[in-house]
Amino acid sequence: MGSDNPAEKALILHRTRLSNPNFIFTHFSNSPDTNYSKLKFIISSSVTEACNNSVLLLGPRGCGKAAVLELVLDDLLKEYPDMITTIKLNGLLHSDDKCALKEIARQLCAEHQLSFSKVASFDDNNQFMIDILRECGLAHKTVIFVLDEFDLFAQGKQRLLYSLLDAMQSVSSQAVVVGISCRLDADQLLEKRVRSRFSHRKLLFLPPSAEDLQGLIKHMLLLPTDSSISDDYTTEFNARLLKLLEDGRCKDIIDTLSTSDSTFNHLIRFIAVCHMDMNLGFLTLENFKAALTGVQRQPKLECLKDCSILELYILVCMMRLEFREQESYNFNTMMKEYSSIRDSFKTCDYYARNVCLRAFEHLLQRELISLVDSRGHTQSLEFHPVKLLVSAPELHLGLKSNRCCPAILQKIIDRG
Amino acid sequence: MSKDKTPQTTRRTTRLSTSSPSLSNADAKLTKCCSTPHSLTLRDLVFGGEIFNADDLFASLPGRRGVILELIRLLGPLNSRMLPLFLYGGVSTGKTTTVLQMFRHFKRPFVYVSCRSCYNPRILFESIINQLLLHSKNEGNGYSSAKRCEKPSDFVNYLQDALGYVINGLKEKTEKLSLKKSLKWVKGSMVYLIIDNLELVRDWDKSLSILPFLFKLYDLLKMPELGLIFISSASPDTYHSDTGYTEPIPLYFPDYTEEDLRQIFLRNQSNPKLYASFLDVVLKPFSRVTRRLDEISTAFSHLFKIYCEPLEDQTIVPNEETKRRLFSHLQPHIAPSLNEIFRVPSVCSENRANKEMVKWKLSGNKLGVSDVLEEIDFHMSVCAKYLLISAFLASRNPATLDASLFDSTGGAATRKRKRKASEKSMEQKDIAEQELLMKGPGTFPLERLLAIFQCITSVADYSAEEEELDHGGLGGGAGDGGLMSDVLLQLSSLCSANFISKGSSCPLEGSTRYRCTVDENMVLKVARSMKFPLSKYLYRN
Repeated sequence: MGSDNPAEKALILHRTRLSNPNFIFTHFSNSPDTNYSKLKFIISSSVTEACNNSVLLLGPRGCGKAAVLELVLDDLLKEYPDMITTIKLNGLLHSDDKCALKEIARQLCAEHQLSFSKVASFDDNNQFMIDILRECGLAHKTVIFVLDEFDLFAQGKQRLLYSLLDAMQSVSSQAVVVGISCRLDADQLLEKRVRSRFSHRKLLFLPPSAEDLQGLIKHMLLLPTDSSISDDYTTEFNARLLKLLEDGRCKDIIDTLSTSDSTFNHLIRFIAVCHMDMNLGFLTLENFKAALTGVQRQPKLECLKDCSILELYILVCMMRLEFREQESYNFNTMMKEYSSIRDSFKTCDYYARNVCLRAFEHLLQRELISLVDSRGHTQSLEFHPVKLLVSAPELHLGLKSNRCCPAILQKIIDRG
Repeated sequence: MSKDKTPQTTRRTTRLSTSSPSLSNADAKLTKCCSTPHSLTLRDLVFGGEIFNADDLFASLPGRRGVILELIRLLGPLNSRMLPLFLYGGVSTGKTTTVLQMFRHFKRPFVYVSCRSCYNPRILFESIINQLLLHSKNEGNGYSSAKRCEKPSDFVNYLQDALGYVINGLKEKTEKLSLKKSLKWVKGSMVYLIIDNLELVRDWDKSLSILPFLFKLYDLLKMPELGLIFISSASPDTYHSDTGYTEPIPLYFPDYTEEDLRQIFLRNQSNPKLYASFLDVVLKPFSRVTRRLDEISTAFSHLFKIYCEPLEDQTIVPNEETKRRLFSHLQPHIAPSLNEIFRVPSVCSENRANKEMVKWKLSGNKLGVSDVLEEIDFHMSVCAKYLLISAFLASRNPATLDASLFDSTGGAATRKRKRKASEKSMEQKDIAEQELLMKGPGTFPLERLLAIFQCITSVADYSAEEEELDHGGLGGGAGDGGLMSDVLLQLSSLCSANFISKGSSCPLEGSTRYRCTVDENMVLKVARSMKFPLSKYLYRN
């Protein structure tokens, strides 16, 4: 009981779980032939047998590559406490060789309680890394290099990759290089000499199947029985949740979700916007439905709903020019079409040129139209060729859903 | 009991004071005893001021109730982890204001940076670290940042240290204050990082690496006590990346509807009924053109002054008859004002504009589509005007016609008899007109410009001399020499004023080519001021 609402405690628990990738993937760590077990086998065998190894983890974004690697490393650190050193690099931060070596030296210093000097040069850091590798090799400690965004390391001269993989070729070193990339052809990006030193082990991470998704939702949302939340609330919450997940409509919602994007990240963002009603205290089907509409956004339609009437006129003029199959058009031809519409349809919305130019600029800002090849032209805006970024069906839908759209515009675009 | 330093002013009241914390050097200099500048405390990370409860929040942001509720749900209860958020919507839809007012209500500590004032990665990183380390740039440290930070790798390391320091400080304070029953000035031990104007990062040099880095910042830091909020006026699908990026949770701010605009304008008005009757008249026509708040408010402020002119007493409540009187006074001004969106009149042109308005009332011009002013409202020297006219002629006329147009007879002798236009030539005329609309003005080399300029000024001199002879005045004068002396100087100043644009020079094509980017109306005004017969020289097919 107490003053805290059990629903609020449950909410906090869910939010903590959602932001914690490790929790999500412990669900999958049990079965024998998953990537988790394969990866664990590779790394642990190279630790115990004191050999060098390299492996690439490939798969689309949001499929758990980095999270599974974290789980494996945590387990191995528990099993072999003093025999592993990990160095973590990221391609977004450390693709430059100097940065990368500085970071490696910094992490090695932090690990071995040495003082790190910021002004050490590239050669000093390089020498330091080679020395440490040799020392660790002699002491039978394995150094595991984790290279996140591996494809970004493969840009440029690949000096870092070469020096790492080359250092692994010597007998005295014990190192494992694990690369993580979302490009499935990451190993094709390597130079010949780097690729020859790379053992072509690749683990493919795929988005989960439908049953896996169902299991994951249960794993994320079911409240544990041994937490600080009251037991009655927990049992009732879990019972309601299980009943809800068995419902056909809920399964449809999950299927719709996974049809567009079945990665874990997408599911997590969906659950994050499933807001439980605090007064009721339990998740209902309406929460799921509302979250689904929140996730399925239509950005161009939102923009079109917000356009003012003059902006809609400009879009309709450009659409008519496209129907007439003019390959390129600019603001001046659009103004000519605008005045011809006014003559033929006798509309009352006729504004001066500079106001139309201003509305034209607003449309450019909203990214409903864009300049064709905006580089290398010294022309003023009125002569720049433009193109429409919405298609005809989208524009029709947008006109219908815009609240203040005059009926004559619908007629004009149909007549066009 | 606890003698915390009171904050000098409530921060975050204006958007200008964002990147560096405000100083109180002036105060320090005035008082003789304290010689050190005001140093920042953790209290400066929170929106100061009195308690701002939920009703005030909803009342101060009309039309945003749904969005605020969703945002509260996404932020979650105190000290709960948060996935990164991405708020987007049109320009001036209140995104930044909403977020800042929410943090004023919640009193949670936050750090705000805008990519408009931090225009490259180094300034962005250093600004964030300065705010977290409670470092202010002042004379003492030579206006330098706490740490020099250019690369993302350094930024991540410094940020982890700075966040750890701030969060520990906050945890200590909340433990101490939980024993006191008085109001706390800060709630929770999470820090929120707000990055505004993210769409400008797309135009930076290093945007290909900075944008994915910013989106992945939450995963890289692995600190659950940080909440990340991005604000952008472009929707997330316009952020392109080769290999994708981890997507934050999006939240859309729709544009204000007419009702919302009405409520916004009626806030803080000294005479709400008067302003409401004003809005009844003007809001509908203006919202057909645009519903952007910044543009409409500029136009309305000007119009409201005109609306209130006939009233002697500004505080009366208008009845029907007064409303009709005021409406008829305002009406001739609405249409011209509609055709000049977002024009802030300068002082002298306001006087002239008033005179023009008087002229229109008499002529009853309702459409207001035609030009406003008959003269150009800036000064140009005679030489510059002739140069501009020559540039315009050079851009519009094809080069082959120069010889015939600019010979001594002014092109009259070579004009043939007009034959009846055939179908084919009409089609060709249409096509040529279309091409002119599409391609725009043509380019010309410097020699051609100078040749035309010579021809025009010699003609003008000849006619000026004729006039002087007629009037019996002293003939001669500076004549040709005075005009030719600084032609190239005038040309370069016209180029820097963007009336003539200069193409890039290519060694294969010869000298640089120029292009006149002024439209016909402007050149007509210039020619009229010089009494130059422009239409005689323009090639119209």
